[in-house]
Amino acid sequence: MGDSHNYLHLARPLAPAPIATSQSSVTAPVSVTLQPQALFSIIDHASRRPADQERVIGTLLGTRSEDGTEVSVTNCYAVPHTETAEQVEMDMDYQKRMLDLHLRAAPKEVLVGWYATSGELNTFSALIQNFYSQQGEGTFPHPAVHLTVSTVAGQDVEANTYISAPIGVTAERAADSCLFIPVPHEIKYDEASKSGLELIAGARDRDDRTQLMQTDLETLERAIEQVLEMLERVSNYVSDVLDEEQQSSTALGQFLLNTLALAPKVDAEDIERDFNNHIQDVLLVSYLANTIRTQIDLSNRGGDQQKQQGGGERGGERGGQRREGGGGQQQRSGQAGPGGRRGEQ
Amino acid sequence: MATVPPAESPVREVQLSALVVMRLIKHSTQVWPQPATGCLVGMDVGAQLQITNSFPFPASNPDNTTGNPNATNPADPYHQADQLALALAAPRAKSSVAYQNEMIKYLREVNVDAQGVGWYVSCSMGNFVNASFVENQAFYQRATGEQTVALVFDVGRSSQGSLNLKAYRLSPSFMAACKENKFTTESIQKSNLRYQDILIELPVAIHNSHLLTSYLHQLPTSPTSDTDLALPASLNELHRNPHLASNPLAPNLDNLDLSIDPFLEKTVDQLLDSIEAHQTEQNNAQYYQRSLAREQAKIQTWQLKRKQENALRVQQKQTPLPEDEWQKLFKLPVEPSRLEAMLVGRQVEQYARQIDGFGAVVSGKMFGVRGNLLPGEAS
Repeated sequence: MGDSHNYLHLARPLAPAPIATSQSSVTAPVSVTLQPQALFSIIDHASRRPADQERVIGTLLGTRSEDGTEVSVTNCYAVPHTETAEQVEMDMDYQKRMLDLHLRAAPKEVLVGWYATSGELNTFSALIQNFYSQQGEGTFPHPAVHLTVSTVAGQDVEANTYISAPIGVTAERAADSCLFIPVPHEIKYDEASKSGLELIAGARDRDDRTQLMQTDLETLERAIEQVLEMLERVSNYVSDVLDEEQQSSTALGQFLLNTLALAPKVDAEDIERDFNNHIQDVLLVSYLANTIRTQIDLSNRGGDQQKQQGGGERGGERGGQRREGGGGQQQRSGQAGPGGRRGEQ
Repeated sequence: MATVPPAESPVREVQLSALVVMRLIKHSTQVWPQPATGCLVGMDVGAQLQITNSFPFPASNPDNTTGNPNATNPADPYHQADQLALALAAPRAKSSVAYQNEMIKYLREVNVDAQGVGWYVSCSMGNFVNASFVENQAFYQRATGEQTVALVFDVGRSSQGSLNLKAYRLSPSFMAACKENKFTTESIQKSNLRYQDILIELPVAIHNSHLLTSYLHQLPTSPTSDTDLALPASLNELHRNPHLASNPLAPNLDNLDLSIDPFLEKTVDQLLDSIEAHQTEQNNAQYYQRSLAREQAKIQTWQLKRKQENALRVQQKQTPLPEDEWQKLFKLPVEPSRLEAMLVGRQVEQYARQIDGFGAVVSGKMFGVRGNLLPGEAS
């Protein structure tokens, strides 16, 4: 069981331990998707582990598809535990309370399994696995997912996912043993995380591992540089093929041709007109927005000053009028706003 | 808007761990279009605030209170407004404070930096400057000291391709005004508080741990640069090639998108809303001024009358009546708080800058496109 390299590739049955009960309802294979925030959290936890501990463990939270065959891990939290050569101790009370707290904030994310920050599977893993997949507080009737993330210095960070099966476990040792079956997993992220990940990845080649937030223009600049680089590469390849220095490929040629065909064929005049219209709209909106800003600033400040005068003896007629004047102008620019927008559309 | 905080500000920069960024993105996009609020934990090292972990507040979850989102009609505008208010008020709600304390207590057990260093909120197209935001931050700065920030994650703008995450604090002068809870014209004049001074923006940096850096290096970023890549046999193979299709950290080219109109339109819409709010505030102020003038006119006539009466009484050798009795008879109207007006000003400034930013980016892109489509002119 400790060997993590010779898998018995069995996908069924996936009845959770303990085996004494024979209600194996789920027999389909399980696939696991990991979201980067969960993985990052595990890595963070691994770097915060107590100095004397080889590995740390925690609970995985996520969602399960209706038939239970697809598990998506979206969140996780650390659970304190101590491990010696003879015994393992896990703070079950902590686990229960933390789960409760997380469920209050995100009721849709349920318990799906647990993680450990070492690639090793041992007897203690089996014990903990049985705890997580038990009836009641565990994931029963679904199998608990066990995610191992190896975090040994100097080696690759390697993630593996397992579920447990009762095969090959003798009845008398059911409590502290189980068969881990590796299941496929993939790391997925959604569109929204893309920009965040990109920025995070930007810090990886720097010595201080730090990346400043970038402005829109900087990101644009970088994107354009990347496109230029790609174009360069493609044109190098094409000229190499022309010079017969590289092997040609019909498929690649076809692909490039298709891509080039995407360039629109439009009249120069049309482009000129559309371009001018659009850029004027954008500039107009920008101008109006700044006008409005100045107006509001002025009217706030004008109001303040007049009110100081007015707050004295003679509540000024003059102040009132000037304020109204400010309001009038204010309204006018307000009306110009939607006009500008209409022009935009 | 001051990007460099004044000398008395204890925190000068904010450092985020990658975990916080990802958690924020996840929570914000999940509850979108509701605002997401949550707590940040970390520690302050000198002038630098390190934020290493975060967790959401339970109240900011849309279907937490009802348990079932279908129980009450989510399309109901009142329900939505309720949820909005609830989510925005979450950071200073009592239940959230209890939740936060409990969570931090547990996080401390697993060696997470257990110091509440602020809160986060998600917004759309920069519409975060409102009374709720300011109250939340004031609450935090009062309760846990000066080392707290508010992180604002703009979901709308981040969908354009570049992450938009800002850190703000309230300026000391604004905090002073907040303490007295007085936002009258006089007090604002005296403290010389302008709407530009309400918020201080802090520079934000992202910091990765060594372990994470090594993990990131494992992920493929761009197609492998070795040239002995097998040439595809057909077009289909090119489309199906998993190495080309799924690249976890491939260059994100979303921000080359030319269509800016939806963003611009939304911002202009919000700008109009702000103008309306400003109008309301101005009407309030005008109403106050008119009633003030009316009362003062009344007082003056009364004083004049009393003076004449007293002159008469002096002539008749009677004791003059007291002249300051008007204070009991007339009541001057209370000046409405100028806070809202200031916030509207700040919000409009935010929009204007945002539109400027859009304009700058899009005009660059458009000139690029024109140069590309009209090669004759470019050369």
